[in-house]
Amino acid sequence: MLSKIMGRQLALLVISLSLIVTSGCNPTVTRVDSNAVTDLSGEWNDTDSRLVSREMIDDVLSRRWIGDFNRSRGKTPTVIVGTVRNLSHEHINTRTFIRDLERELINSGEVDFVASATERQEVRAERADQDLHSSEQTRKSMGNETGADFMLKGTINTIIDAVKGEQARFYQVDLTLIDLESNRKVWVGQKKIKKTIEKSGWRL
Amino acid sequence: MKKAPAFVSTLFISVFLLLQGCATTAQKTAGMRALMQSNQHQLALQEALKELDSNPHGVMENMNVGALRYIIGDYAASNEALEVAKLRVEELYSTSITEQAGATVINDETISFQGDRFEQVFIHLYMALNFINLGQLDSARVEILQAQVKMKEWGEPEDETPFMHYFSGIIFEMLGETDSATVSYRKAVSAYRTTEEKEGIGIPRQLQEDFLRSLASMRLWDEFKQYKNEFDMARYKPVSQKGKGELVVLVGNGMVPQREQKVFQTWAPALALNVRVAVPDYPYPSQTLNAIRIKVEDEYYETDTVANVDGLARAALSDNMAGITTRAIARAVLKKTSEKEVGDQHGFLGQLAMMVVNQSTEIADTRCWNTLPQSFELSRVSLPAGKYNVVIEVVSPAGVVIDRIHRKVSIVTGRKTLISKHWTSPQIRHANVTSQQVSY
Repeated sequence: MLSKIMGRQLALLVISLSLIVTSGCNPTVTRVDSNAVTDLSGEWNDTDSRLVSREMIDDVLSRRWIGDFNRSRGKTPTVIVGTVRNLSHEHINTRTFIRDLERELINSGEVDFVASATERQEVRAERADQDLHSSEQTRKSMGNETGADFMLKGTINTIIDAVKGEQARFYQVDLTLIDLESNRKVWVGQKKIKKTIEKSGWRL
Repeated sequence: MKKAPAFVSTLFISVFLLLQGCATTAQKTAGMRALMQSNQHQLALQEALKELDSNPHGVMENMNVGALRYIIGDYAASNEALEVAKLRVEELYSTSITEQAGATVINDETISFQGDRFEQVFIHLYMALNFINLGQLDSARVEILQAQVKMKEWGEPEDETPFMHYFSGIIFEMLGETDSATVSYRKAVSAYRTTEEKEGIGIPRQLQEDFLRSLASMRLWDEFKQYKNEFDMARYKPVSQKGKGELVVLVGNGMVPQREQKVFQTWAPALALNVRVAVPDYPYPSQTLNAIRIKVEDEYYETDTVANVDGLARAALSDNMAGITTRAIARAVLKKTSEKEVGDQHGFLGQLAMMVVNQSTEIADTRCWNTLPQSFELSRVSLPAGKYNVVIEVVSPAGVVIDRIHRKVSIVTGRKTLISKHWTSPQIRHANVTSQQVSY
């Protein structure tokens, strides 16, 4: 009887200790393709950011506003990405999402792209510095910046329904392209993602 | 004669080792709390960091570091710690089989600490405050939404933390989202009613006014009239905010009580003898708090108690007490049985060693987020735009002002300016201990 009880106690102690010990070991690292889908927590991730930006840019570039602009102005439109507000339940790094948008737009070759408001400050500071320190031949003058024709801005929203370890997450990304001269909205895009997450009730 | 062979020697070595590490959490963190109580928050943080070193992913350890870093004004670092705690709480959502088994043979501290529900909600509150102080209002919004999801997922109205709803309403107002603010105020009113008995406070007067004001701004007149009657505020008329800004002062007052260990003997019919049981307890009644009032230039404004953390903590323990006691008695019986049987096989020394092992491992689970305040006090003051001298005055129960915290604030039309502070005692204030003012 004693050995049984002690055995049980010791076995549990050994299991607990081994779990503590193994949990402190070095992590296993596996390199994966950066395009691979890795859904771990169910939260917004790099795959969502990449897929949404690609699909929405494909959509914006396939609409008639771009042809209309080309015909009326005889040039490719110049676009700037404004703010994408995170109104969701998660801390989404909107900067990476904005970078994805910029990359897709620039690589499409369908539009010209100008630096964002914060990037412009740095570029202007550099030009001001050149004014003082660079040679006449290489100096870049002020006042020659290309003004954007359109601004792309948007929001990321979520609706979460949750009950006892189960969650249904609904993401909605809304992007709007606004004509900077007239404030006219020339394109409104929307992408929705739905995920369900089930948490396990037990673990070892 | 029975010999005391290697088994007993091993037990004695175990005794020695166990005695090193079997202090209760209350004892281990007493130094940190004493430093905090005497306003030495930097030193308290050093103590909290030592505890964190021993358990870098521990929920309680990160909660304490997060709260102390918030007090010191290191908001980004506070959020780093609280984010670790938050993620760990999510990981610990499921029940561990091995930890439960460990709790039946060793003690309840073998179960990973994930905090009581109100403590889990307060992680979001502190993170939201940090984000506001960092000027990241959208990120604060994320935190209040996460807290709402958490409370919704539990689906138990009595487990809601009403102040979180109230605070959500304030943040929504800061963001200009009056409709969402109204919804949050409505939820807060309902939650304060549901939890009144448990938390020990009803609907704060300030919330009643805020809710009525938001209903009026939404032109929900039927509901406005209904709540005016319910709040017994028949004469209430919303004051125009035109051309004004608002000062919001949130003060954490005092320190939440510490869970202590209570040891008692109880009769175990299975063994026909008394067994020693250790359970957590709040041995002392709630402390009488000093009052907090706000002085803007020469005008005084009262604060409302919007969260009674003391009440929440006591209620949380009370809710769990039946399970804790049952587990402790079962464990005591098991331990006593093992002592008897070791004695039968290895003699008196073996039994003695086993007894010491069992007694030294039998500690109560006194873990809790013990760097929280005893209560949160709130005041909202509408002011014309301009610069003001604001004084947070701490008034003893005898009516004597025992501390004054001076701030200069700028009030901007249509914006809210938040001052947040956790006050523990009127000691020498250190240069790096701040209360922050941020305008939205």
